[in-house]
This record gives sequence, structure tokens and C-alpha cells, in this order.
Amino acid sequence: MVDVNNLNVKFGEKHVVHDVSFTVDKGEIIGLFGISGAGKTTIVRVLTCQIEKKHWTGNVMVTGLSPEKKSNHSKILSNIGYVPQLELLNLYFELDPMVNVEVFTSTYGMNKKRAKETAEELFKILDIPRDTWKKRVEKMSGGEKKRLSMAIGLIHNPDVLFLDEPTTGVDASKRYDILSYLKKLNQKLNTTMFIITHDLESALICDKVAILKDGRLLEFDTSQNLISSLPSEGLIARFTIEDLNEKLIAFIKKFPSIRRIIRVGNEAIEVLMENFEENLPKLIEYMVDNNITITSMSKDIATFRRYFQIRIQKEEEEESSLKEVKVIRK
Amino acid sequence: MAKLKKKPLTLNFKKFKDKISKIKPNFETLKNKISKPKPNFKKYIKNISNLKINALRILKQVIKEFRLLWTDKFNLLLAIVIPPLIIVMLGLTMTDAPSETQSIPCMLISYDSNTFINPNNFTESKLDNYTMPYVEAVNKSSMLELVRFYNATEEIYAMEAARNALISGEIKVILSLPVDFTELLEWGLPGLIDCVLDASNIQYIQQSLNSVYDSIKIFVNDNNLTPQFQLQGFEEFTIPEGYSNNFNSSIVMALSFMVFGIALVLSILVIVQEKPIARLLLTPVKRSEILLSKYITYTLVLVLQVSLLVISGLSMGLYIAGTLTDLFIALFMIGFSGLTMGVFISSQSKTKTQANQLFLAVFLVAVLLSGIFIPIENMPLYLQVIAYILPLSHGDPLLRGIIQKGQSILGLHFIWLLVISIVLVIISFVIFKRRKYEV
Repeated sequence: MVDVNNLNVKFGEKHVVHDVSFTVDKGEIIGLFGISGAGKTTIVRVLTCQIEKKHWTGNVMVTGLSPEKKSNHSKILSNIGYVPQLELLNLYFELDPMVNVEVFTSTYGMNKKRAKETAEELFKILDIPRDTWKKRVEKMSGGEKKRLSMAIGLIHNPDVLFLDEPTTGVDASKRYDILSYLKKLNQKLNTTMFIITHDLESALICDKVAILKDGRLLEFDTSQNLISSLPSEGLIARFTIEDLNEKLIAFIKKFPSIRRIIRVGNEAIEVLMENFEENLPKLIEYMVDNNITITSMSKDIATFRRYFQIRIQKEEEEESSLKEVKVIRK
Repeated sequence: MAKLKKKPLTLNFKKFKDKISKIKPNFETLKNKISKPKPNFKKYIKNISNLKINALRILKQVIKEFRLLWTDKFNLLLAIVIPPLIIVMLGLTMTDAPSETQSIPCMLISYDSNTFINPNNFTESKLDNYTMPYVEAVNKSSMLELVRFYNATEEIYAMEAARNALISGEIKVILSLPVDFTELLEWGLPGLIDCVLDASNIQYIQQSLNSVYDSIKIFVNDNNLTPQFQLQGFEEFTIPEGYSNNFNSSIVMALSFMVFGIALVLSILVIVQEKPIARLLLTPVKRSEILLSKYITYTLVLVLQVSLLVISGLSMGLYIAGTLTDLFIALFMIGFSGLTMGVFISSQSKTKTQANQLFLAVFLVAVLLSGIFIPIENMPLYLQVIAYILPLSHGDPLLRGIIQKGQSILGLHFIWLLVISIVLVIISFVIFKRRKYEV
């Protein structure tokens, strides 16, 4: 459905995407994760024909068509849907939802009756209350606007739907609702979805996740596979320690099988180590022997959030060690 | 002697044959070329259906524009209802009928009197022959309202009192008859009347002078006086009887300002305030279709606005020396130039504030340099160039020509309005095509 090979994007001297490659199959939900400036939006802009060919190289295919050719743009845009981060950019607030639908469906050449039927179907799936269908969009709640925006993105039954930060600006409690709606739509319509997001919870509904940093694709796999690639298949020990400080963490780090310690609170750390089951009792013993007061301890499987944190940290450490090598060579 | 070796003349038929065979494929390609432009009906049908979809898309975009306009009813009201209302207001206020003209309040001071000692040994003054007849003439004139008459010989502070009345706004004119007013008239010389006008409001000056002139006319007629000189005026392009002169002369200015200004103010935000354009561009709709739909919508609004203006103008007594069609086209062209300028401003403004500020600057410059307040010929050369580029300086003479002189629309002013509108349409399309939109 979407094929990206060796994508490089440059704006003048600025190289914003480096050699990115990935393939997405029909019906998959892909999460593009990364901190700001990672290149997530730029990649999506290439896929949605928003960046001129002079700025990028590589082989890109969207629904079997290359955005390289301008003549393909109209067809690609007919095959894709887009839900921007801000509803203000997607909806005419002065008009009602049904008229908004009409405005967008007319651009795809859909007839009024079909558009209305599709809209009603989508509105029902997305629980957009019937009494708001004929009211101005500006009178709808934030969540309703978000869902309407999603409905408009899907109104022409696109093969691929791009969603830019769909959970940003939504209450914590509503975030999961949005994600479950997306999953529901994906299952019902079998639409391939690209979610650009900072919200790591979105990985819950993603079939595959892409982690980007500074325009480089660090990982592209299922979140389970990525977590399993951690030492001891992602098993994590969580300790609450009295008077925890950096010196103490550095001391614990000296324990031989420890691979990584992450500070997760004022007095809490999470520990990743080799041969978890075998080494955990030894670690506790090591800490007790050295007068470290453990207030509580639990073990769990790492979340995607933790994986992401570890992976980015690792990348940063590698980058800084590379810089050090360069300085020494000089 | 060296002998020239003669090469035996042999015909290489094989080579010749080859050459001929080489030509053959050329015939083939030529044949192909000729046979190529076979009518590709499928392609034509596809093209036609594409056109149909595009036309439909544009139509739907036009409907969207109307719906957006309808949501901002105040704006629509501004465009459609206000201009004809202003014309009606002008019609009601600017009439020439004497009964409807408010007379100018004035005070008259006479210094024209004989002072003598009466038998009781008191100083007495007696007004001269022609003072009271002039007072009567002023009273007779419907254009003047005599608030008070002073005999200056008896009331030495008459002028001071009259000036105070002028300052307070109680009167607009002070008329003063000099000491030798009667003597001069009796000797057959021009009798002078001093006239002090309130010039703080420019619109009263002409009206005041006309009123004074009216009183003099009555005075001369009633007293069988022969004026020393006769002013003979010939008037061209006069408004026929039954039509209001004031209304017809002021409507020209009002029409061009209104049509241009409202088309401009309506269109300055059409692009800059429509945020979902960025998202619309991620559908198969083209930028040119979006802009074209805006032009179509606002042109239709303009046609409605111009129609209502013409209807309201005619109903209030607008006299058109030229043809109604020419007036309609001229008004449409002035409005269209405002519309194109507004879309141009909108297409290159980044924010609403920027568009509003640009509108103000453009409109003020267009009005100031329109030639209505200051003749363009009196401006410095560089300002004249700017003035002639701007549409309003062509709109006013175009309308005056049609309404007052019966000229045809065809001429330099119309052509310039057409040219500037086309240029602005092209520029706005180019800018809109290059405008950066990101979602």
C-alpha cells in the first residue's frame, strides 16, 4: 500500500530525512513516533504530495503511484485521506457537519446521496450525536470536532488515512476513546492508517511502529518485537529507594548484569538486566549489603513508552561517544 | 604527358536498390504519421467527463462560498442592502426643490443712513432710500432667513453682535450695506454689499452666495434698477427639469466610492481567513478551481449589488444622459476592479490584520488620488502616475461621462479598468498558486 525506499529529504543545506525505508501493507496501522524535528511530518508530507520532487530523492509509492510525478498527484490525493492536528484547518466552523461533508465530498466527485449515506454511517460509528449534525461546527465539543474531522478524512473511503497527532489536545480520558474509534474504523473499513504522534500510548493500537530521530528511522517493527528485543525480553524491576540520588544510581549501576537504569521518579528507578530471574535476588542482596534502603520492589514487562525512552537514550549515548571519538582523533 | 585515368562508368544497382529500400521505411513512418491523428473517442469522452467533474467541483465550491457568505450575514448586508440605502438617503436629502431647501439664517446691518440734528437738538439718523427696499428683498427671498436687522448708526455694536451670532452658529451670513449704498445706486454706479460668510463648513459657502444673489435679484427687479453689468452664463450638460441637481451630481461620487469600496472590503479576507484551504488542497481540487469559485461567487454578489444600486438610483431620480446598459457595465467594472484588488490583497496577506491594514492603505490612497478632492493635473508627476494606475481615478470620470454627458462606455477609462482588473486577476492566480499551505 505504501512503499518507501531510501527516502532522503533536503531543504537547501538542511538534510531533514536520511535514507528512510519501510513498507506498509493494506489495513495496517502504523505509528510514526519521534520527538519534535524527527522528520515524521516531513515523511508524511512527501507521501501526501506536499513536498516538491526537487527536495527529495528515493523511491516512494503510495497506493501504487509515485508522488514523484505531478500527474499522479490528483489520483494519490483521491486515494488518501488526511486528518490535521488542528480541526480549524480541516473544518469550516461556520457551517454544519453535513455541509462540511458536502464541501469535501464534492472535491472527490461523490454524489450528494452517497456522501450523505457514508457520512451518516461514519457519524454513527464515531458517536457524533444526531442533534449536532445540523448545528454549526463551532458549537460542537472538542471531542466531537475531532471525530468529525476523522469522519471527513474517511468520507471518500480512502485506501490510506494520515492522522496528525489525533490525540493531542484531547483530555486524558478521551484519548483512549479516540484510539479505540480509530481501531474500530480500521477494522470496519480496512483502511491503512498512519498516525504521526508524540503520544506513546497510541502504540497500543498500532500494528507497527516507526521510531525516528533526527530524520533517521531507528526502528520499524511491532511494538511487542521491539520490547522483546530488550535484555531479558523486556522484564523490568522497579525499586523505590530512600534518599535516592545520582551517586547511588551510579553505585547500583556497577552491579555486573545491569544493562540500564532509568530514573522514573524522585525515589524510583527501573532496572533492565541480563538473566533477570537469576540476577534479581543477587541485585537485591547487593543493595541491602551496601545499606541501600529499598522501600518497595515490583517486576513487570516494559511498556512501549519505556522502550522508546531507552532506544532514544541509547541513540543519544552512541552519538555522544561518536563525537568523543571524533574529538580524540582530531 | 600524364594521361588522365578515366574511371569506368558503372552503375551500382545494388547500392541504388539499398538506397531505395532505405527510403521505403520513411514512407512507412509518414504513413504512420498520417494515420496517427485518428480520433481517440475514448480519450475525448474521458476529457469531457473530467471537464464535467471540474465544472461540478467549481459549482460546489461556489455553493460553499455562498454558504460561507450566508453565515456572515452582516457582511452580506453590508454588500447588498447598505449601498442602495445610501442612495435612497442621498435621494431624500439632496433635492433642489425650494420648499425643501433650508433657508440660510442671516443678519443685515445697514450703515447707509443720514445723520442730522433734529429740532429738539438731538442727533437722529434716518435710513436712506434703498436700505428698507433691500431689507424687504431679503425677507422676500425664500433662500434667506433674516434673523435681525441693525441700523448701525444707532447700534454701534451691531457688527460685534452679528459676529458673535456667526461664531455661535445662530446665523451663517452677515450682510452689510455700506454708507454710500444709496448714493452709488442713485448715481448709476454699482452698489456694494459686504458679505461675511461662515466658511468653516465648505458646503455652505456656495449655498450662502446663491442665497445672497437671490436677494439681490429680487431687489433689482422690485426697484427697477439697471445693474451695471450682466453676467451671462451658458450651461452645458444640465440636468433636465424635474430631476434634482444636487442628487445627480453627488451620486456619481457616491456610486464609484461605494461600488469600489464594498467590493474591496468584501473580498480582502476571502483567502486569508479560510483556514481549511490547506486541507482542501489535499483533495483532488485544484488551486485554480478554488480561486475561480471565489471570483464567480463575488462577481455574482457584485452583479446583484450593482443592480440594486441602479434600481435605487433610478427610483430616487437619477438622470442618465447615456444608456442604462453603459451605466450598469461601468459600475460593474468599477466594482470588479475593487474585487480583483481585494482578492489580490487577500492572496498575498499572511494574516487577517495584514489584509485589513493593506485594505485601509489601498482604499485611502485610491480615494485621495481619485481626483475627486484634488484634480490629478495639480498633483506632482509621481503622484499622477500612481493616480492614473489606480482604478478609482478612472471610475469617477467614466461614470460622470455616462451619467452627465451621455458618453459611451468605450474609451480609455473603461479599457484601463478592464486592463487593471485582468492584470490583478492574473497576479492573484500566480500568487495563490505559489502560496505556501501546510497542514
